[in-house]
Amino acid sequence: MSNQSLEATVDPELVNKWIDEIGSGVPAAVPLLQAIQGEYGYLPRDAMDMVIANSDINASQLFGVATFYAQFRMKPVGRHLVKVCHGTACHVTGADRLNTSLRHILDITDEEEDTSANGSYTVEDVACVGCCSIAPALVIGDEIIGNLTGADAQRVLKKHARGVKEELLGDEAAKKKKEKEAAKATASGEESRA
Amino acid sequence: MSDSNLEIIVGEGTCGRASGSTEVLGLFRKNAPDANIHSVGCVGMCHAEVMVEVRDNEGKSFMYGNVDKKVVTKILKFHRGEDELPEDNLLTSSDNPETEGGQYLSRQTRVALRNVGMMDPTSIEQYQARGGYKAIEKIIKGGMTPEDVIEEVKIAGIRGRGGAGFPTATKWTFARGAEGDKKYLICNGDEGDPGAFMDRSLLEGDPHNIVEGMLIAAYAIGASGGYAYIRAEYPLAVTNFDLAIEAATEAGLLGDNILGSDFCFDLKIKQGAGAFVCGEETALIASIEGERGMPRIRPPFPAIKGLFGKPTIINNVETLSNLPWIIDNGGAAYQAIGTEDSRGTKVFALAGAIKRGGLVEVPMGMSLREMIYDIGGGSVTDKPLKAVQLGGPSGGCIPESLFDTPIEYASINATGAIMGSGGIIVMDEKSCMVDLAKFFLDFTQIESCGKCTFCRIGTLRMKEILTKICDGEGTMEDIDTLEELAEGIKQASLCGLGQTAPNPVLTTLKYFREEYEAHVKEQRCPAAVCKGLITHTIINEDCNGCSICERYCPVDCITGEKKKGETWVIDQEVCINCGMCVEVCNPDAILVA
Repeated sequence: MSNQSLEATVDPELVNKWIDEIGSGVPAAVPLLQAIQGEYGYLPRDAMDMVIANSDINASQLFGVATFYAQFRMKPVGRHLVKVCHGTACHVTGADRLNTSLRHILDITDEEEDTSANGSYTVEDVACVGCCSIAPALVIGDEIIGNLTGADAQRVLKKHARGVKEELLGDEAAKKKKEKEAAKATASGEESRA
Repeated sequence: MSDSNLEIIVGEGTCGRASGSTEVLGLFRKNAPDANIHSVGCVGMCHAEVMVEVRDNEGKSFMYGNVDKKVVTKILKFHRGEDELPEDNLLTSSDNPETEGGQYLSRQTRVALRNVGMMDPTSIEQYQARGGYKAIEKIIKGGMTPEDVIEEVKIAGIRGRGGAGFPTATKWTFARGAEGDKKYLICNGDEGDPGAFMDRSLLEGDPHNIVEGMLIAAYAIGASGGYAYIRAEYPLAVTNFDLAIEAATEAGLLGDNILGSDFCFDLKIKQGAGAFVCGEETALIASIEGERGMPRIRPPFPAIKGLFGKPTIINNVETLSNLPWIIDNGGAAYQAIGTEDSRGTKVFALAGAIKRGGLVEVPMGMSLREMIYDIGGGSVTDKPLKAVQLGGPSGGCIPESLFDTPIEYASINATGAIMGSGGIIVMDEKSCMVDLAKFFLDFTQIESCGKCTFCRIGTLRMKEILTKICDGEGTMEDIDTLEELAEGIKQASLCGLGQTAPNPVLTTLKYFREEYEAHVKEQRCPAAVCKGLITHTIINEDCNGCSICERYCPVDCITGEKKKGETWVIDQEVCINCGMCVEVCNPDAILVA
């Protein structure tokens, strides 16, 4: 399976802007990588190369840091990210089942893979998110959802997908409405001129 | 109808938001626009989120739990005199404080958490109205010298709350005496212990208290630069702390010439990037410097040569949160709480198989039993409790028979566990102790930075052996090897991560050896958790043939005829023992053994 389509196109201006703002020395390595991942969802090789070329951080330092910290991801990420918490409380209350269930519904069968074939969702394991009293929990987008069973996790995913669809359709609908109004305005303008 | 006589307070910590507090807040704003509505941090009763407190102009207060859309209507109707009190959702009220919810709060002694859940964490005015920034004012305007501050904290007797329990005043003395034109103070908010969320709640719920604590510590050691190292996994904590820095700077409480004195302190946030080892002081420093977070050899200690080679003190979030109270009330008042060995209070994050999980702050010396049963309400399933896990991956399991152990450093250490940062996971008989030990070794093995051979390779070997035992392929010699490796790793590791990594294995072996032996000798997992040692079978007489298990089975190993209970079978060759079928089965017709 290939996720070629998920590869991000890196904007050099953006990377240079971050270097200007955050710094070009070694202490800036972590925040720079955080900025890149915040934008692209992972660390595209092109962005890393730009940082190496335009800052005082060399390749071994930058890759050393990128591969050390759990937050950083070197391969492309799906359009939406589901983070399944694997803290102690979540582990003893069945976090594993959330993974099994989500991977099942997304049809991710390859053990090495964490993204669905169409690139819609990535299911990632994360360390404790600190919501132990509502374990097991997962994070989808910016939202933390807790007290889940495996079946609940599928419902959460479906609900999220519906939300995304509505938003997309909403955008479409809004666009169409705008076009219609614009057409109307032109038409009435022509009428008044006539 | 006007609700202007009502003050409505909604708990909006991460747990609250995860349970839908934002929607509840919106509903109150929409349906009772005249009421005085605001949001506060997490009061700590995470089991009852979403929590809402309503105060009326007669001075009465009512605290509700598990609030959703329907309950919002009920609450408003009651306070408008249109309906009965929604008793199912009432946790406690000024009319009847002896409820379970009331007990949860009244049995606690809240020093570090004194403001959390009581005020809007994004408002400096509210913090000041509750006596905030009075301590730093007392120090600067009252003419306290740094030595006076250190002495006061020494009298208080507070020990570092990050886990190791080193006396705070002693640590400060080293940095105070260290030579250097620039010194740093770092707030350690890299709460990486799985199962701990005290620092998250403190940073989210009362960030100004931490800023003030940092000011006090910086003044004491003579630091002019400060960093708050906060996990990136805690976005709300980062946001609220950032707002606090902004507001404090504007109020002249941070930056140059604080409160008109020559004390200057510049504070920045540094977001962690997910490495447990960065909780270790020298690793944290390496991380701020932009390096891989690997511990360095001590001495030199950070107090002498730390961040960017300058004298540096690192204090934990909870330690800092106690400082303003200590200065306000005097070290003696703090010393009066707790025991000879351990002064003051400790915040714990209660989770797992417990009825009322959440954040609790208790005086040192309270027994585990009191905290688990009287405050936490005991087992959530009413099945007997088996053990608690204290201190995360560095800590250990304490069995039910030792629940009378008082919460203080020496007594907890004597059990083989550690106080740690305060995460407590309560377990009933559904938890397998070998699986738990494997879980922690899996964690430390991944999080080991790789610098020391014993930690890097030793934890991997231990994890491999534990996996073998969980799969039913272990031998009795394997258990001996585990013990031998544990000793080696403890002795030959540079930092706390390696030195404590074997604790989860050693304590489970000490108290639950029979579970290990059941796995090895009988190929049986007594808690029915280890996937290699259990089977799932359908009990024909209980099955109603609804077919829901078939739909949820990820490997399609369940077959049968709809509505014909007796025809359903699980193909043992294909089944992965994931437990999805058990979860969805209504008549509980699946046997796990």
